[in-house]
Amino acid sequence: MLAKSLTRWLQQNLGFAAAILLLVVLCLVYNILHPRGFSSAVAIQNSNEAVAIVFVAMAQTLPVLLGGLDLSVGAVMTLTNCIASELLHGSPAQILLGVVVTLLSGTAFGLMNGIIVVYGRIQPIIATLATGAIAIGLALLVRPKPGGDVDEDLSWALTNSVADFAETYGIADGGQAWWLSPFADIPVPVILVIVVAALVWIPFRRSVTGRTVYAIGSAEGSAYMSGLPINRAKIAAFTLGGFLAACGGLYLAIQTSSGNADIQQAGAYTLNSIAAVVLGGTSLLGGSGGAIGSLVGALILRVISFYFRILDIDPLLQPLIEGVVLLTAVSFGAFRTLRVKNKLDLFR
Amino acid sequence: MKSVLTFSAVVMAVALSAQLAYAGPKVVSGPGADPACFKPWSNSTKYFQWAGRPGPYRVAVVNGFVGNTWRIQMIKTAKAFAEDPSMKGKIKEFKVVSTGTDAPAQLGAIEDFINQGYDAIVTIAVSPDGFDRVIRLADRNNVVLVPFDNVLDTDKVMQVNEDQLAMGKTWAEFLLKELKAAGKTSGKILEVRGLPGNSVDRDRSVGIHKALEASGGKWEVVQVVGNWDDGTAQKVTADAIAVHGRFDAIAAQGGTTGVVRAMLDAKHPMVPIAGESENGFRKLVAKHAGEGLKGISIGQSPGLVAIAMKAAVTALEGKAMPQLISVPLPVADYTQLKDGVNFWTSLPDNFFTVNEFPPCGVNVSGPAIMSKTEADVK
Repeated sequence: MLAKSLTRWLQQNLGFAAAILLLVVLCLVYNILHPRGFSSAVAIQNSNEAVAIVFVAMAQTLPVLLGGLDLSVGAVMTLTNCIASELLHGSPAQILLGVVVTLLSGTAFGLMNGIIVVYGRIQPIIATLATGAIAIGLALLVRPKPGGDVDEDLSWALTNSVADFAETYGIADGGQAWWLSPFADIPVPVILVIVVAALVWIPFRRSVTGRTVYAIGSAEGSAYMSGLPINRAKIAAFTLGGFLAACGGLYLAIQTSSGNADIQQAGAYTLNSIAAVVLGGTSLLGGSGGAIGSLVGALILRVISFYFRILDIDPLLQPLIEGVVLLTAVSFGAFRTLRVKNKLDLFR
Repeated sequence: MKSVLTFSAVVMAVALSAQLAYAGPKVVSGPGADPACFKPWSNSTKYFQWAGRPGPYRVAVVNGFVGNTWRIQMIKTAKAFAEDPSMKGKIKEFKVVSTGTDAPAQLGAIEDFINQGYDAIVTIAVSPDGFDRVIRLADRNNVVLVPFDNVLDTDKVMQVNEDQLAMGKTWAEFLLKELKAAGKTSGKILEVRGLPGNSVDRDRSVGIHKALEASGGKWEVVQVVGNWDDGTAQKVTADAIAVHGRFDAIAAQGGTTGVVRAMLDAKHPMVPIAGESENGFRKLVAKHAGEGLKGISIGQSPGLVAIAMKAAVTALEGKAMPQLISVPLPVADYTQLKDGVNFWTSLPDNFFTVNEFPPCGVNVSGPAIMSKTEADVK
């Protein structure tokens, strides 16, 4: 019974399963080769580096599930990064307010994207190309040159292990309490990502609105004829995308204790988010996949570049090798075409 | 239970004392090691001293953006210098990675090398801010972190750069001198700027304007943005000539070969010009100097990476080092240009001529690096 349902899950989520397998293999080999592999320090470093791209990839997933692309996710991350760099200091209440304002501004930007796409009837890719430029413009207004003032303790505590977090804020006997020890070595960023995924993505996916997003991606006409709330789902998808991009920007500000309206970085994050979504098994045609897959995809993207630091590869060949590995990884998703029984399935 | 508590207290105490022992460099008074090579930025520059340790060392270069000639030349110089007889015995492992313009990736790469137990990390920062965490980790682990070229807005790390303000000043002072020799004390000057928002672009421009103001002459400066890139600089210069007709002098931060080509295309009279150290620019100045293209060429050298590496190794040997190291400006004007010495007519336009710094024992020359094939450098 269990084996049967597992086989079925595998068949339905082949791309996602392949991505997880690839990630596990890449991580294991990396840690074996690393002089301090399987240590807390390496886990902390790896997760810190991955958080921003993980959130941005999760943000990109929603428009992709609808069958579109959001070219503004990197720009929204940059904008919220700049806003956070202005607000995250002062008393705990002020910092909390700064966090809320940062997340709300990203969410509002996503809402605006959704409204433009739904009521302006503009293709998402074009609409977000324009709003992305607006976001960068706003980011440059907020922070014309890099810098910022982010609470040092906050920055240190959230970019380290649970034990360091407890030590910084003097809770749980400065991180020495016995009940904390099972979790002491877990990096805080990992917990943050899990919390957001569990509290935001999973409930959304299970709601009618969330399932409507999938329905729109597979057949918008049928979804409409079935009486599903199409407009609401589209707006909700872009809004949630804005929120997740803001999570990325917020973390980036905490990690770097600063903001930087870097146009090239915003572009790189947008493109990498699309790659991560595809790596995670979400179809660019829409309708299948999910944000957890993109999370895994973003991690794969990061782990590939980790290898350049432990292997001796010519620096000028690294981009080439990264591209080849990426292409190979994406090709795993094409395996399903080998076992289609009906040619029409290829169009799914 | 009690023994567990005692044990953890002991562990804590050991951990704390270890942290105190490895809290980064001591601030000491100068002078530092090898002042001919490691010149302090100013009289108020402080000195750092790390506890010396025996070599050979493990050194990593963490580059950001890759994809223009300058960065490629920099990476090749770094690899060649690591193989140089003066360095080879001191470096046991050497790695270069490029992270692209992605701050988390660059910070992650630096932290990864700290975790791997590297002794020194040389980097071109993708942003002048945001490195607090890796600086803290580097100090805790006694790793020497050396940003160069695009440096950080902090005095907590040892950094290597050329004085961009002085570069701008020298350019403008040369132009003023040439204009005065031609009997001009006022007129119109074209300024071709670099990448907007960058501290290097800002400082160079400020230097140019300060020198012009100090001259007391009436100068009208027309600014265009050339992004330090030949193609862009050529286009914006052509536009500026089309609009303004004639300039008395030109100061270009980069892409200078393109600037001169635009002048030639538009049949703009040859006027005094200040620019970067591209081989193409020097070739054109040498050819047209007699017609009035009296040029000065000052370079931000890709060879800075070698000085940063040498500074890192010297610091690891326990010698006192200036916190901010000023590398002398490599200046050559039209009277000093010599084919085969500081430019090469037989070689392509787009490499940077200034690569070596004899006072530092950095003798890796531009053509030696850029004309070799990949296989040779390996």
